[in-house]
Amino acid sequence: MLFSSNVFLFAFLPTVLAVYYLVPRVLRNPVLLLVSLVFYGWGEPVYLLLMLAAILLNYGFGLWIWALRRKGKGAKAVLAAGVAANLLLLGYFKYASFLMSAISTVIPGLQRISAPQVELPIGISFYIFQSMSYIIDIYRDDAPVQKNPLTFGTYVALFPQLIAGPIVRYRDVAQQLSSRRENLNDFSSGVLLFIVGLSKKVLLANPMGEAWLQLQCETGLAAAWIGLAAYTLQIYFDFSGYSDMARGLGRMFGFEFLENFRYPYISVSVTEFWRRWHISLSTWFREYVYIPLGGNRRGKGRQLLNLLIVWFLTGLWHGASWNFALWGLYYAVLLILEKLFLLRVLEKLPKPAKHLYTLLVVMIGWALFYFEDLGALGEFMGRLWIPVPASSGSLPLIASFLPLMAVAAFAATPIPASLAVKRDTPALRFVKAAAAACALLLCVGALASQSYNPFIYFRF
Amino acid sequence: MKERLFDRIVVGLFCGFLAVMCACYLFLPTEDFSALEKRYLEDPPEFSWKTLASGEWGEAVEQYLADHIPGRNFFVGLNAYFVRMTGRQASMDIYAAKDGRLVEAPAVWDQDRVEKNMDAILQFSEKTGQDVYLMLIPSAGWAAAEDVFKPAKAYNDQEMIRWIYEMAGSTVQTVDLTELFHGRKEWYFKTDHHWNSRGAYEGYCAWCLASGREPVPEETFRIGQYGDFFGSTYSRSALWLTKPDSLELWVSASNLTVVNGESDEIHTGPYYWNRLEETDKYTVNLDGNHSVVRVTNPAGSGKLLVIRDSFANSMGVFLAESYETVLLVDLRYYKAELSALCREEGFDKILVCYSLSNFLTDANLVWLR
Repeated sequence: MLFSSNVFLFAFLPTVLAVYYLVPRVLRNPVLLLVSLVFYGWGEPVYLLLMLAAILLNYGFGLWIWALRRKGKGAKAVLAAGVAANLLLLGYFKYASFLMSAISTVIPGLQRISAPQVELPIGISFYIFQSMSYIIDIYRDDAPVQKNPLTFGTYVALFPQLIAGPIVRYRDVAQQLSSRRENLNDFSSGVLLFIVGLSKKVLLANPMGEAWLQLQCETGLAAAWIGLAAYTLQIYFDFSGYSDMARGLGRMFGFEFLENFRYPYISVSVTEFWRRWHISLSTWFREYVYIPLGGNRRGKGRQLLNLLIVWFLTGLWHGASWNFALWGLYYAVLLILEKLFLLRVLEKLPKPAKHLYTLLVVMIGWALFYFEDLGALGEFMGRLWIPVPASSGSLPLIASFLPLMAVAAFAATPIPASLAVKRDTPALRFVKAAAAACALLLCVGALASQSYNPFIYFRF
Repeated sequence: MKERLFDRIVVGLFCGFLAVMCACYLFLPTEDFSALEKRYLEDPPEFSWKTLASGEWGEAVEQYLADHIPGRNFFVGLNAYFVRMTGRQASMDIYAAKDGRLVEAPAVWDQDRVEKNMDAILQFSEKTGQDVYLMLIPSAGWAAAEDVFKPAKAYNDQEMIRWIYEMAGSTVQTVDLTELFHGRKEWYFKTDHHWNSRGAYEGYCAWCLASGREPVPEETFRIGQYGDFFGSTYSRSALWLTKPDSLELWVSASNLTVVNGESDEIHTGPYYWNRLEETDKYTVNLDGNHSVVRVTNPAGSGKLLVIRDSFANSMGVFLAESYETVLLVDLRYYKAELSALCREEGFDKILVCYSLSNFLTDANLVWLR
C-alpha cells in the first residue's frame, strides 16, 4: 500500500488511528504489528510469509546471541550465521537473477541454468537492514534484547517506515517501543510533517517526474539538462517526501524517527552531500560495514579500499543492476578524490563554484541512477553534451515546467523552513495550519485526477 | 494555552477530514455512471481469496475508491486549476485559449500510423475499383492558434495534412480544407473538439465543390440556438468554471429519415432532440456515434458512403440534403467487410472523412477491407 493512495488515506489510516487510540495501551504494539502486516500484505500477500520469517529469524538470533554473550562465548559465530541468513534472504529475493546473469557471462557453461524468477518483495532492503542492525547491536551490547516477539515484530514491520525508510536502528527506538507516550503536540506536528511529505510527493515530485518523462521525448541540450534537473528534483522530493510522511506518521503513534534528509542539494561537496542524503542508509553502512572493515584506522590504502567496497555495496543496495553498481563506484571515486586533494582545492573556490560542482556531479550521478540500460545511458550522456537543434516542443514544455521547478528548487533549500521557524507568532501558526489544509486538499485533488479519465468515444 | 489550541485545531481538522471522507465513502450512495466522463465507474470489487493472494483485489479496491472519491468533480477541478496556475498548461492535453475556448493540444505526427492508414485507403480503393476521396479536418486548436497562450506547442495541421495528401496514391483524391478553415475559430465549438454546424456546412460545401455538386444554399435552413453546451474538451479539461458554449442547429424542410446500424427504428429528421438534455449535446446530430448510420432523403440524388469519425455526425446532416442515401460507417465499431457492402449497395462516391488528430491516432482504418 502506498501512502499516496485513497486506500491508505481514507480507509487504512482513519481505521488504524481509531483502533490504536481506542485499545488499551498493552494492545497498542500488537495492533500496530497487525495493521502493519495488513499494510504490507495489501499488494503482495505471499511476501507476508517472508516478512514473518524475517521477524522470527532475527528474533531468535537476537535471543541466541544475547544468551551467548551473557555466557561470554561463541556469539561471534552465531552473529555471522545470523547476518548470513539475512543476506541470503536479501540475496535470493533481490539479487538472484542479477547474480546468475553476471556469473553466466563470466562462465559461459552456466547459461543453461535459469535464474529463479522472483519478484522483488517491496521494502525488503529496508527491513532486512533494520533486522541486521538489531542482531549486530545485540552482539555489540549497543542495544537491549527484545524478548517479546510481538514487540520485535512491531519494530521490523512498523508500517510508517516499512517500504521506503528511514532505516531505523533498533537502538534508536528500543525505548520508544516499550514505553512511549503519545501526546497531542507530537500528533499535531506529525500531521503537519505528514502533509509536508505528502505534498512533496504529490505536488512536487510527481509533476517533476512528468517533466522528466515529457522532456525525454524532446531534443536539444536545454531539454536534456532541464529534464535531468527535473529528475534531480523528483528523486529528492519523492524520497524525502516519503521519509517525512514516515516520520509524521511515526509521531502520530508516539515514535520519533531520525531525520533522513537535510537539504542535500545545498551541499558544497560530494562528501557533504552524502552527509545530508539518505542519512539513515549512510549511517548504516558506516556503522556496520565501513568501521568494521577498519574505516580510516588502517592506513590510507586500506581506507580507500574500504570506501570502494562500501560504495559498491551502497550502489547495489539501490537495485540489482549494473548501473547502480556504477553509480556507487562513481561516488566512491568522487569521495576518494575529495579525500585525497579535491576538498582542499574546493576550499579555495568561491561558494557558487562549489555549489555548481556538487550539483553537476550529483545530476550526472542521477543519470547513472535512472538508466538501467547502459545503452540508453550512453545515448542520454551524449544528449547532455552534443548540441543538436531543439525540437519545437521543447521550449513550450520547458516554459511550462519552469515555474514549478523554481518553486521546487526553492523548497529544496532550508529557507522556507527557517522563515517559518523564525517568525513563529500565533498568527503565523494559523496561517501554517491553513496552508497545510490547502495543501492536503490539493494533494487529494491530484490523487483524484489520476483516475479521472474522460472517455471521448463512448457509445451508449 | 495557545499552543494547545493550535494543536487541537490541526489534529481535529486532519482527523475530521479523514473521518468525513471515510464516512462519505461508506454512507453516500454511489454512482454507477459518470456523465462528464461518459464511462461506467468501477464496481465494488468482489472478494475472493485468489484475487487477494495475487494482489488484484487490493488494486481493484484502490481503483474503486479512486473512481468514487466523495467530491470527485470538486477535487478534479481543483487540480486542473492548480496545474494551470502553476504554469503547466503546455504539458496538458487540453489548452485553455482566450475567451473560454478549450482546444485539444496539437496532434503528434506518427509516420507509421499515417503510412498504415494511407495504405488501407489505397488498398480499399483498389479492391472496390472506385476512386476514394480523402478529406481531413484540421483541429479547432489550429484554427484558434492565435488565441492559444504562448509558448505552446505549435499546431502544424496545415503541413501535416499536406504531407499526408502528398502520400496519397493516384486513386485517392484529396479535399483540402486548410485554406478555407485557416483562422476560422468561429467554425468550431469552444467547449468541444468538433466543428460546429457552421463548420460542418462549410465542410459540406467544400465537398460538393470537389465532387461537382451544387450545395444546398444556406437560406434553406432555419437556424436555432441552444445554450448550455459543455462538450468533450470541457469535461477533459476539468476547468469547471468555463462558460458553456451554445449549439446552432440548422433545420431544413427536407423529409430526412435516419436508421442506426444497431436498430431498425426509423427516425424522422437528422436531430435527436432528447440529446439536448445531456451535458454533451453534440450527440443531437444523428444520435452520436454508431457503427452504421443510414440517412435517406427522397428529394436527393445518388448514394454516398462516408467512412468517418464523429466530425461527420454534423456534416452528415448536410450531406443528406444532397444525396438520396448517405451511409456513414464508423470503423471503430464496424468490423465487417466493407467492400462487400460496397458491391451490394453500389455507391456513387466514397469519402473518407476524418479529423486530422483521429487520422494520426486511429488504428481502426485497418478494418477497411
